[in-house]
Amino acid sequence: MDFIVTLITSFLGTLGFALLLHAPKKAWLPASIIGGISYTLYIVLLQAGWHQAAAMFAGALAGSVLAQVCARRMRMIATIFITLSIVSLVPGLGLYRCMEFLGAGKNAAGLQAGVSAMIDIMMIALGLAVGNFVFRMFCRPQAVKG
Amino acid sequence: MPVGESRYMEPLQLAGRLIMENGGETYRVEETITRMGRAFGLEKVESFAVPSGLFISYRRQDGDTETSVTRVRKGSRNLSRVDAVNAISRQVESGGLSCEETMRQLQAIENSKPYVTRPLLILAAGVSAVGFTGMFGGSLWDMCISGLVAALVQLMSQQLERFHMHEMAATLLGSLLSTLIPLLLRHYAGIGLVEPIVAGALMPLLPGLAMTNAVQDAMRGDVVSGLSHGISALLTAVLVAGGALVASAILHLMGGAAL
Repeated sequence: MDFIVTLITSFLGTLGFALLLHAPKKAWLPASIIGGISYTLYIVLLQAGWHQAAAMFAGALAGSVLAQVCARRMRMIATIFITLSIVSLVPGLGLYRCMEFLGAGKNAAGLQAGVSAMIDIMMIALGLAVGNFVFRMFCRPQAVKG
Repeated sequence: MPVGESRYMEPLQLAGRLIMENGGETYRVEETITRMGRAFGLEKVESFAVPSGLFISYRRQDGDTETSVTRVRKGSRNLSRVDAVNAISRQVESGGLSCEETMRQLQAIENSKPYVTRPLLILAAGVSAVGFTGMFGGSLWDMCISGLVAALVQLMSQQLERFHMHEMAATLLGSLLSTLIPLLLRHYAGIGLVEPIVAGALMPLLPGLAMTNAVQDAMRGDVVSGLSHGISALLTAVLVAGGALVASAILHLMGGAAL
């Protein structure tokens, strides 16, 4: 039940972003579904006892591969789907907490939140990069590249 | 209108600028320019792009090198336009477009109205805030408040745009509003969890996506772009924090507890 709520809320969040970033209309639905899946995977792994960084990496990796497959299928640039697949993973709350603490003069807590947010960001970038390798390994490049 | 081989520069510049302004990656800008240039039959096409400018050069038949510098101003992201420019570059590559036709189509993209209209953008901001607040563990009430706050912030930033206010002002005020309203509601009406509401409503302003893009740029080897994106993300973070701080100071003045 909890996971269904997570899936729906992260889907909605991504959908809103798809419009805010002026993504092409055809991409709205598939990109939001991918965004929902990658965040739900992250939460599921987290509850299964994975380390936060590892779960973040896995979520971004899954999102990246799905996004590139989708982009290839729909013949659109991968940027659209990749950007939207990680919108829900990006540590918005962590960054906000970091600034909130720093602003209130709680430097130690602020740095802690900031470092943890930075690790998340690094893991997402790493997940996307590895996803790119994986996709290239298993999908032969086409004459028309996305 | 330049003639001969010089006329190829303009479509290359415009294509690169459009991708960069609308949120395409640096490597995509460089790749598109090089590919289009080769498809036009130019030799030694080179391009170097950073978020604030483009450098393009190619060799003419008479041996001279044609070079251009294009300044790029930061625009708002529009992924549809990036996709459209990409489609045109593919057409050029398959040999289906002349130089003049390419220029005409690129100009059409530049002048096209975004099809996500202003009211729809307000709705989108609301929907995204509702989703993210729920995702951060907010209740149904929190989600409603957050949706309304985000819609209000979007409306305000559209109004500021009309007065040609800087994007920085919109970020600062947006952060102020979306922190102040939940704080006041909490203080005077006792409803809502402040943190999920604020984080959900602030999601479009927070530089998480920008930071991730910066790291990705750096990983691809575009270190200058990575740094430049990173610094601008950091600036946004400072502005958001500033807005939130002012909001909590206002609450303090009104007799409430700070954050």
